[in-house]
Amino acid sequence: MVEVQSTESVPADGPGRRRFLATASTLAMAGGLAAGYGSCAAMGGRFLYPARPVTMAWQFVIAVDRLRPGESVSYRAPNGERIAVARQGSGEAPEDFVALGSTCPHLGCQVHWEAQNDRFFCPCHNGVFTAAGLGVEGPPAGMSLPRFRLKVEAGLLYIEVAMEQLA
Amino acid sequence: MGSVSGWLGERIPLRGAELRELTNEPVPYHLKRWWWCLGGTPAYLFVVQIVTGILLAFYYKAAPETAYESVRYITEEAAFGWFIRSLHKWAAQLMIAAVVLHQMRVYFTGAYRKPREINWMVGMTLLVCTLLTGFTGYSLVYEQLSYWGATVGANITDSVPLAGGFLKSLLLGGDGYNDHTLSRFYILHAAVLPVSMLLLLMVHITLIRLQGVTEFKFKDEPQGESRTFSFFPDHFYTELIIGLSLMILLAFLATVLPATMGPKADPLTTPEVIKPEWFFYVAFRWLKLFSETAAILSMGFVLFVMFLWPFVDGWIRRRWPASEASVWIGIGGVLAIIGLTVWEAAVAH
Repeated sequence: MVEVQSTESVPADGPGRRRFLATASTLAMAGGLAAGYGSCAAMGGRFLYPARPVTMAWQFVIAVDRLRPGESVSYRAPNGERIAVARQGSGEAPEDFVALGSTCPHLGCQVHWEAQNDRFFCPCHNGVFTAAGLGVEGPPAGMSLPRFRLKVEAGLLYIEVAMEQLA
Repeated sequence: MGSVSGWLGERIPLRGAELRELTNEPVPYHLKRWWWCLGGTPAYLFVVQIVTGILLAFYYKAAPETAYESVRYITEEAAFGWFIRSLHKWAAQLMIAAVVLHQMRVYFTGAYRKPREINWMVGMTLLVCTLLTGFTGYSLVYEQLSYWGATVGANITDSVPLAGGFLKSLLLGGDGYNDHTLSRFYILHAAVLPVSMLLLLMVHITLIRLQGVTEFKFKDEPQGESRTFSFFPDHFYTELIIGLSLMILLAFLATVLPATMGPKADPLTTPEVIKPEWFFYVAFRWLKLFSETAAILSMGFVLFVMFLWPFVDGWIRRRWPASEASVWIGIGGVLAIIGLTVWEAAVAH
């Protein structure tokens, strides 16, 4: 007759191994669930987070010799933003020109030029900017209207602007 | 008849006595006072918002090219569209007013104190959700003011330290307001926020049910009589009267002051006079008074303290047991809110 020993009666590291296996399988299961649902959540998050970076491009503004020092032109960017481009110096380097955007650096409203007060005014939170675009009153005091990069090539002035359309 | 109830009883094993236990919560006598019905008011208006909102969703088209035109269609062409839209608009205004009044009632009666701290925090989250629903809903009309309100709102999230840029991109679906933005506002307004509010409301009401309503004793109450009455039908009838009165008020407001159409959004021109909805006047004025970071950090701090108020109040009362600080802080807060709101309402800029 063969004597059958119950596994429970074997003390040699049995309960320890069982506990280890139970813990390990619980951890593996929890880890698997966390990894599985976690990747789904990450994919969902990535789906919601916009991937499109803003594309910037150089656009032609005006021939340099058509803008005398002290004069300015209003340029409408492809995304619709109004940009004031002014010539400050008599040279033909980009530093002789300045391009100021019309989006308030405070919370993104559009500033208006108030000719009678010789200033830009933001109606949202009463921001005031000088003609050079420097914030002097209200929350944007000390900030500047956005400045755009300019370059001159073969006597033509170019500006770097966002190509995305505003909704 | 008996066979039908027998058939149902087998499938839904819920007895009348159990149902009565669920609905006949004894409520303290002071709930006969109207001030104590302000919690049920926003709940009722929330239901109005869900019903009218679903109706509006049948015609609303959330895209920059179509949004304004679809709202115009609802307002001017769809049968009773003007009425349903106006009900939705006015119920939103009343809901926010009722939530604020309810919170003030809870605050000034100290009903948030131990052991009801968690329910205060749930309530604060509901308040924030209500305000966000108001904000996103207003943006959907795609009028000039709602467009610029949305732009300012999104840029406010941008100045939140650390996570700001991420939050703004997530909210707008890009670096600025773009053709994905409106559908995001729509899904937040019509799905994410209402479902969150529904779940929070369930927790809010469950906690009230578990803790019971805070009991107050007033001098003019009948002495020696039972100090409680039954939720159903007594308090239910009170709420029913409020519901009917609200419906009359809503119908009156919707008819006399219907929702109108402002000029269509123009992303290139901010209107000369710009205001958000009245419930954001406080924040709008605050933003004019301080630099961006100072204004936003201080508003965040105030919200944070409000959220944790039961614990702050507990600390104050442990330190100075006889102090009435919470009442004075509350009065100061209410006066500041009223003052800033009136100031913003009174001036163009």
